[in-house]
Amino acid sequence: MSTYTIPVGPLHVALEEPMYFRVQVEGETVVGLDITAGYVHRGMESLVMQRNIYQNITLTERLCSLCSNNHPCTYCMALEKIAGIEVPERAQYLRVIADEIKRIASNLFNAGILAHIIGFDSLFMHVMEIREIVQDTKETIYGNRMDLAVNCIGGVRYDLSDEKIKYIRKQIDRLKKPLEEIIDIYMNNKFVRARTEGVGVLPKEEAVRYGVVGPVARGSGIDYDVRVKSPYAAYDKIKVNVHVENGSDVRARAIVRLREIQEAVNIIELCLKELPDGPTCIDHLPEIPAGEAIAKSEAPRGELIYYLRTNGSDKPERLKWRVPTYMNWEALNVMMPGNKVADIPLIITSIDPCISCTER
Amino acid sequence: MDRNIQKEFEEKLIRTIGQGFSLRWETDSKGVVTGWCRLDDHSQITNVALIVSGLGGRVITITAYKTKDVHQRDVHEIAYHFDLDGCTCTVTIEIPRNSGKVNSITPILKSADWTERELQELYGIKVVGHPNPKRLFLDETIDEGIMNKLIPLSVAMNGATSKTLWEKVFAATSKEVDTK
Repeated sequence: MSTYTIPVGPLHVALEEPMYFRVQVEGETVVGLDITAGYVHRGMESLVMQRNIYQNITLTERLCSLCSNNHPCTYCMALEKIAGIEVPERAQYLRVIADEIKRIASNLFNAGILAHIIGFDSLFMHVMEIREIVQDTKETIYGNRMDLAVNCIGGVRYDLSDEKIKYIRKQIDRLKKPLEEIIDIYMNNKFVRARTEGVGVLPKEEAVRYGVVGPVARGSGIDYDVRVKSPYAAYDKIKVNVHVENGSDVRARAIVRLREIQEAVNIIELCLKELPDGPTCIDHLPEIPAGEAIAKSEAPRGELIYYLRTNGSDKPERLKWRVPTYMNWEALNVMMPGNKVADIPLIITSIDPCISCTER
Repeated sequence: MDRNIQKEFEEKLIRTIGQGFSLRWETDSKGVVTGWCRLDDHSQITNVALIVSGLGGRVITITAYKTKDVHQRDVHEIAYHFDLDGCTCTVTIEIPRNSGKVNSITPILKSADWTERELQELYGIKVVGHPNPKRLFLDETIDEGIMNKLIPLSVAMNGATSKTLWEKVFAATSKEVDTK
């Protein structure tokens, strides 16, 4: 059989973000892969060193739209560690609520795209319609559908009145039944199963070797979630059930994401129930001394880490962050070979790639 | 019994490199332990990678940065952030000024792959022994070590926001006039 190299991308592989793949095929089967990145590299790690620490809260929120809340939140956590700031308890719960609302919207988006790629467009529309409930909630509570702008050093910039708590509860309730319905479709519909089961397999030992994170790791049987392994915000007080699947394929990764939406719903309900009274932020503009710190969080796509070095000035000496998708790209070299050309976009989508995050 | 991975790491470190390092553990209010380690000899990083690999750990990321040494000279340091079952341990080395080289740990820990390629192109630090050392994000036409320089915005934008652009336009127009 003849071997060919076919270009896939850089545009419209799975999402409207550029990444270029040179795929070696034998007949219709993928045998090798070469990834070329860099189409949306903006040099943001250089930019953050030329802006002051407060401006960078705004800048980091603009790294990516889907996990936009995790970036400023984790960055603020790093600053708080260096300055020794204790975040008020109410603010810690409010950070969790904002994070989990974003997680629901992000995971639903990926589930929708998966349906679209396998040609199940009615399911895609249905999932996006459910996602609108979450988008409306964000707009009502935070005034924006994507960038919430809730984080500041030492707390959050929003509060929930009784009326707003009631509203979020109502919205969350509206999600429950449709979620069960779509999870049933993703798990049991024979067309969805035919396209996703046994496709893009990443065995557990390879997942460990490549150091993959988030739902990609948990879909391959790795029980690792930053919220549990190294708790932050209010996650030390709230029980998070980590959902692990052993299928290691596209289906397993999709199920993990969908189950995490249900878990996010539970977490938000619990937070609203146990929301302590008190201030939402520290009452002064802190000075950040020289130092270094690590902060980690579980973004919708997995572990996000910020490493910050300060030198006592108002600009960071170095700010480095590693987004979850960054670790998951190389694992495509394991997932792809042996699959059909038609499954390439599906496998790429199954790592829920974020390219603007990866390249910064 | 709970595994004490920090203790295991420390013991193995002493057995392998003896006294040539400093190490401290910090515990935050949530009980999360973070490790900060500094190696005297940069070439020991491969031994540390072997220890992390033996403990089932992985590379979370690697940060290269420019800083000042004790003599106030510019120097590159690299901070390796390893994950030891939820505990982040940062191991820092100083890159020798004369060679600008460091051994790759990707052959030992595959999870270091992309991030070593990235620091190579951003800081011009040569990573020796990387299995796939080609550019990751930056085009071949861009100089290595781009993070070591300050590039003014007007240069980056090719004069699009300053009079540089118009100088080029006028220069080109006057040439046209001359040739006529």
